[in-house]
Amino acid sequence: MITSEEIALYIQNIPATPAVVQEALNYARAGDLPKASKCASQDPVLKLYLKTLMNRPIYGFRNEVSDVAQIFGILGLATTQQTLYHYLLSLLTPKKWELFSLTNHQFYDLQASISKHWEAILTHLKINDKEIQSAISLIPASIIVCEALFAKHKTEVAQLRSVKALDFNTILFRMTGSDLFDLSGEIARKWEMPSRISDLIRSASGTEKNLTGQERVLAQWMHLLLFYELSQSAYVSAGLNDFIDFKIEFVQDIYESFAQVVQYT
Amino acid sequence: MRAVVKGRVGVFYLQGFLDGNNAPSFLTIEDIKATEELNIDMLLVSLKKVIFFNKNGLDVFVKLLTNVRNHQHITVGFCDYDHAKFNIINTFYKDGAGFSLFKSQEIAELFTASNKGESRTVLLYNEDPSQRSAMAIELFDYGHNPIMTQSKHEFEEKKKNPELYYAIIEDTNLGVYGQKVATRVTGNAIIYTISQFLDAEISDTFNLSYHQNSLNVGFRLFIFDAYKVISMNVHALNFFTKLASSAAEYNASICFVGLSFEKTPESFKNDLEDAGLMFFDNMDEILKNKELLQELGGGGGTAAKQSRSLNKSLVNELPQFIEATVSTIAMMTNATAIKNSVNIQTLTIPGTNDQYASSIGFYGDIDGLIILIFPKKIAKKACELLIGDENASEEEVLDSLAEFVNIIAGRAKVLLTAKKHLLDITLPRTYADINTLLEIAQNKKGVQVDLSFEGERFIFFLTR
Repeated sequence: MITSEEIALYIQNIPATPAVVQEALNYARAGDLPKASKCASQDPVLKLYLKTLMNRPIYGFRNEVSDVAQIFGILGLATTQQTLYHYLLSLLTPKKWELFSLTNHQFYDLQASISKHWEAILTHLKINDKEIQSAISLIPASIIVCEALFAKHKTEVAQLRSVKALDFNTILFRMTGSDLFDLSGEIARKWEMPSRISDLIRSASGTEKNLTGQERVLAQWMHLLLFYELSQSAYVSAGLNDFIDFKIEFVQDIYESFAQVVQYT
Repeated sequence: MRAVVKGRVGVFYLQGFLDGNNAPSFLTIEDIKATEELNIDMLLVSLKKVIFFNKNGLDVFVKLLTNVRNHQHITVGFCDYDHAKFNIINTFYKDGAGFSLFKSQEIAELFTASNKGESRTVLLYNEDPSQRSAMAIELFDYGHNPIMTQSKHEFEEKKKNPELYYAIIEDTNLGVYGQKVATRVTGNAIIYTISQFLDAEISDTFNLSYHQNSLNVGFRLFIFDAYKVISMNVHALNFFTKLASSAAEYNASICFVGLSFEKTPESFKNDLEDAGLMFFDNMDEILKNKELLQELGGGGGTAAKQSRSLNKSLVNELPQFIEATVSTIAMMTNATAIKNSVNIQTLTIPGTNDQYASSIGFYGDIDGLIILIFPKKIAKKACELLIGDENASEEEVLDSLAEFVNIIAGRAKVLLTAKKHLLDITLPRTYADINTLLEIAQNKKGVQVDLSFEGERFIFFLTR
């Protein structure tokens, strides 16, 4: 169904980070928002993306926000960096979703919602780290990779899943030895993101056994957050709820705190 | 979301959070329709990976389960939960909502019919004595050996030796249990347990489709365990007479064991005997008499006295079956299966050691039986995606082989439906010992296709 060669080809075809975005990211990492916004303004597609994103209902602005400097100012350093990662991911989103019944707007809303909740989680965990905050933006990459690899095998997967409860991540791993989170980590590596980010993304699958300390805590919260978001009605309808295997035993001990942080009642 | 069907049990595997807001999104109208059309004996919702649920969330599934139970008389309920979840569900549905609760899927499967004749020893406890007895009776009727404990203390003591039991049954409730006739397999015979007063309802509670499946996959002896039957009326008599006629087409035998004629008219016995049914006083008269067993068809070897020949309509569709087999292997392994030769012949297997076999029947516009014979190594390789464990036991490999052949039959069904042939598929059957298969199929003429996969030969055989 899917071979290691297909995966290699997919990774090879991922576009490199556009120079403008790379430069804006470098300025953001260095804490220079004015230069980052000046740089980002040069790319009309990025500018339109930022404007569309900021005016989505989830941000709740009454008046239209359109100036990049103003947008970066509102977002702050860490979230700007995160948003630039979101933009990079948007370059990989398919024109038409076939495996999942999703629209790009729903996908962007998912990114935004994950980011907002992640911010609250990091505040709860008292972690103030820009890289960790922005790492979450790459988690939905696993959905894009899944769509890209499995869209043309939709019927076969449905037949397989009619006799055995197998999620896409497990199917991919058993066939190729790599899972969706490994591939998302590869994307982060290709975009020259710090290795900490790709490691964190890999750990969100909940399958890594040797995690300890902060790494394990972050992996637990990421994994549960992902399932919280994928349990929302729109994403259940899209078929995202069972695209990876939920490791309930991995997150059981943080559930109570999690429900309080995301205000789930 | 669609239910995953294994054997005759359908299960919805939910994940994450389940509440009133998101629960309706799990089931589209098409999903509900597909679920209602499933040909199964049990429909369950697994809560294993649900970290949070509330009553509104469960209600959506309870509604579906209740509808299915009312229309199909099958067992429905929830499974795969811990003690805390069990208590929460019981709090939500204090007066009972009619569904069953099975602590695990493994436990639930003990209460259904399968093609395997395994008798399991299980430890059982329920605070409610009537539930305890009901479960023990059902388990016994399905051919298992329940060890029923009378007190919590006795149960806890016995529980200290879990290795003695296949399963430990607690936090389980049958609720309004499905009304299907209990079925078990012993060797090559199928035993149905019937009880009380038999009337027109027998046609609803008896699983005709399972019976038909069993005839199609080669079972030839059917025994009705009727010790607990008080009486029957003319509607039940008609039902059994019709069943005998259809069994005659397959040269199958139907027997009643332990039926008393104290309250049933003696004339019924004559009518049933005229229809071809046989009566015995106790089960051992059949099961422990090898000669009789062989004569009745329960020995396997003499199963198909009236072997049905291949016909043109089946041979015409051979390419669809081969395509389904080859493409399934390609899908599951990323390797290609090569067709070496095609011959019309009786099943010929060079060497019977180190091989597994599986079979699945289909019936409808065309009918027949697909048999696959694999070297053990190749069977394991072909099922690697389903098993996911290099050190899988023989039982796991055989289970996966059944799923594998189910996918092949499913694909063949899709290909044939595109050509306007409507058909249904039977439960798959697997054979750890090729000789058992040969007892059923050796005299049948069919199309034998020798294929190779990664240099090793395997056989596809299509027959009627």
